[in-house]
Amino acid sequence: MKGAEVISKLNNVLSGEELIVSSNGNVSRQAFHLLPQPQLYLRGSMGLPVPVGLGLAIALPGKDIIVLTGDGNFLMGLSSMATVAFLKPLNLKIIILDNELYSTTGGQETVSSNMGYLELVLGMGVQNINSIDSIEKEDVIEKILSDTIKDPGLQVLHIKVEEDTINLENIPWHPVEIKERFLKQLDI
Amino acid sequence: MIDLQEFISYLSDHDFTLSSGVPCSYFKDLLINLEKDPDIYYVPATREDEAVGIASGYFLGDGKKSFLIMQNSGLANIGDALTSLAQLYKIPILLFVSYRGLEPDNDFPEHSIMGEVTESVLEAYKVPYWNLEESNWIKTLDLAINKMDKTSLPVCLLVEKGVLSE
Repeated sequence: MKGAEVISKLNNVLSGEELIVSSNGNVSRQAFHLLPQPQLYLRGSMGLPVPVGLGLAIALPGKDIIVLTGDGNFLMGLSSMATVAFLKPLNLKIIILDNELYSTTGGQETVSSNMGYLELVLGMGVQNINSIDSIEKEDVIEKILSDTIKDPGLQVLHIKVEEDTINLENIPWHPVEIKERFLKQLDI
Repeated sequence: MIDLQEFISYLSDHDFTLSSGVPCSYFKDLLINLEKDPDIYYVPATREDEAVGIASGYFLGDGKKSFLIMQNSGLANIGDALTSLAQLYKIPILLFVSYRGLEPDNDFPEHSIMGEVTESVLEAYKVPYWNLEESNWIKTLDLAINKMDKTSLPVCLLVEKGVLSE
């Protein structure tokens, strides 16, 4: 399965109450076009979706926060995973879409193919880490996504995905508009 | 040294409820007091840009305010976090940055070049900054926080040796 297909499956299992932080580039574009709006679409700050999600999770303990990140982005901010593991915010769910590529910039290879995410994240102190291949688990991926966002406590899901072949259009909102729409929905 | 209880109470009274960052010895006593404070939650970050990310997410959770602590070496690490996150999305953050590389650091060459360019870096990043001094710290913080609130952008206080720790 491609990353965008996994995001569409995620859409099927959202309650609508979750707040989603997406990593810059393709992942944010896919989140914008495939998930309910508005969410917190990062435009830059590569490596920071996990800490932004952590800050949100601390600020809003009654809300479930989902971080959607690509592998290149996750690896750039890898030490933030250790901070999250240390603090264990109960309402934070991190989903890593791993196509082993910097897709947004033309499909250059990342260093992800060599890694054991399960052992890595477990070693940082996160008990609830699941690592799956989207092709092997295609039939049950919706259930796995659902469990990740609905099971209590900090959850991390690493998913091997295929490269996306369709590039979605850029997000038309200026970042200040993204912020304002995101903050406004919290007031309702 | 500034009275640290008064300093923390001032920040708490101005609705700062979270702090994060990477320590500097210039903040040693401040951090001891901060970690004991029940009103401000301190999150130890692994990198300074991570701390900017945490502060940004915290603000996006209903407008909550935070301040960050870092060495001026950390200014070199937060360039992208400032320009493509906090400044781009207009997120107010109060930065306390230790001013290393001045005369008391003569035996620490690792700070000398960043010490020389610290103010130029802040100017290049377009971050307004003030020197925090014991004699008029409340007035300076009032100015900085007003600027931060009015612009909804990060602002910086430079902190020399002896101001927030013995």
